[in-house]
Amino acid sequence: MSDFARQQAEFQRGILSDDDTVLAEILDSPREKRDALFGVYRYAYGSRLVEAVRNDHELLHLYLGDEMFDEMGHAYVKAYPSEHPNLRWFSKSLPDFLRSNAPYSDHPVLSDLAALEKALNDAFDAAEGAVVELTDMAGIAPEAWSDLKFRAHSSAFRLDLATNAAAIWLALKNDETPPEATVLDEPARLLIWRQDVTPMFRELSAEEAMMWDEAVNGISFGVLCEMLATYDDPDGAAGRGAGYLHGWITAGLLTGVSVGVIDS
Amino acid sequence: MNVASRLPDTSAAALADRPAKSARPPFLGFGLGLRHQHYDEILNGNPPIDWFEVISENYMLPGGQPLRTLDRICERYPVVMHGVSLSIASTAPPNFEYLQGLKDLARRVEPKWISDHLCWTGVHGKNLHDLLPIPYTREALDHVVSRVQLVQDFLGRAVVLENVSTYIQFNNSEMTEWEFLSELSRRSGCWLLFDINNVYVSAFNHGYDPLTFLNGIPADRVVQFHMAGHSHMGTHIIDTHDHPVCEDVWDLYVAALKRFGRVSTMIERDDNIPPLDELLAEVVRTREIAEKVLPTSKQAG
Repeated sequence: MSDFARQQAEFQRGILSDDDTVLAEILDSPREKRDALFGVYRYAYGSRLVEAVRNDHELLHLYLGDEMFDEMGHAYVKAYPSEHPNLRWFSKSLPDFLRSNAPYSDHPVLSDLAALEKALNDAFDAAEGAVVELTDMAGIAPEAWSDLKFRAHSSAFRLDLATNAAAIWLALKNDETPPEATVLDEPARLLIWRQDVTPMFRELSAEEAMMWDEAVNGISFGVLCEMLATYDDPDGAAGRGAGYLHGWITAGLLTGVSVGVIDS
Repeated sequence: MNVASRLPDTSAAALADRPAKSARPPFLGFGLGLRHQHYDEILNGNPPIDWFEVISENYMLPGGQPLRTLDRICERYPVVMHGVSLSIASTAPPNFEYLQGLKDLARRVEPKWISDHLCWTGVHGKNLHDLLPIPYTREALDHVVSRVQLVQDFLGRAVVLENVSTYIQFNNSEMTEWEFLSELSRRSGCWLLFDINNVYVSAFNHGYDPLTFLNGIPADRVVQFHMAGHSHMGTHIIDTHDHPVCEDVWDLYVAALKRFGRVSTMIERDDNIPPLDELLAEVVRTREIAEKVLPTSKQAG
């Protein structure tokens, strides 16, 4: 290892830990001791990364308050040092961190809230894609409908939450007092996406969530309707399927509709 | 792609100075750092700003509003890309994924130039997201020269490198920062972004005269000035870029104009972002001072 490389490794170790080895190679300034000056880098590291997490998780910050958020943020910085040159991706593991580290893991609403904010952030700058319009559907022959397959917009993401984090998110967003955190009897099935430039989310029924998940897996509309028939009134399945599809298209959730190969 | 095949050739022949022969970037006038807080005001009001500098990493994204906004800004104003993660002085292997992202963004933006900092941001797979200092040694200079050559070859253009604010000095430095920057520019062909606030900050922190730094930089290599504010801690100054430009830095700007001539100048505010009007007033001041120190009519004559 070159002297330069060794020095950088020691400098970095001094920032990431309390190792003072590098101080032996640093000068005092005319007005200040070297440890105080090196401390500027140590302090800036933690505060800059915690600030990045705070910027990405404004409502989690609001929910926890300054002191608790900063303590959590510093613990996250220690557990997940940044490995990407772009600060944009630094907080991506926060939901995992909160889910698997006490005391945060004792409050599953925290990882749910972080996961929802992360999904909205990801939708905000997800890749562009064509958006299917209702008029695109008008030209499709009736006999082709059962073979239709769908491709989700790149911003669309499904998220199941075990807690009422979505209700807490909404209350915080509207400057209202959030409800008590509770674990739900069955998970809230959320669909997150970007409409034009605005990240959105809404809760799906179990039936619509099933249809969405299967549709984006490449299942054709005809089969989707057969699956819907097992959920509720079989006679209304095609109508319900068309209704969900209409909602997805008007929300800008689909980027492609294709007609599968029809056996002659 | 075989990354190893793109690693720098460290043979003696390859280490020979190979300055890039890119044309000197043009004089753009008086600009401002683009910040998202001002998007609407800029797009709705077309403020009289000659050009914008954008933080490259803020737009190295898959899509969405930031890139769409950037496209609209690029339709109306000259744009320069300024990065914070090139880590040109790192001893870690070059990050070609990052460089490709930078190149892709440049293809979209068509910037007048691409700049970053003479610093490193991490080694061993970690990124500290800070502009970290280096020892001014011959070993470090050889390394950074070869890295700049590699980056310039990859991007197909000469880059512009900025002096950073530093809080410490290494005891093994063999030259001054300005000697290092001068040699780096001469040997690699990179241009220099002279951050006047950073010179002021480093000079205070290390106890030298900022004019010594200024006069030690070759007059023909500087193509951009940054003007910014800082936080004074008594025994040292921290480069927070979150305050208005202070009077001492305005004075240093006058000296810089006298030495480097008319150089593209911009106000850089990174935090505590004020209303656009406040920053526009500082941009106007950069223009007025330049006009006073170097009258356009006299230049033209």
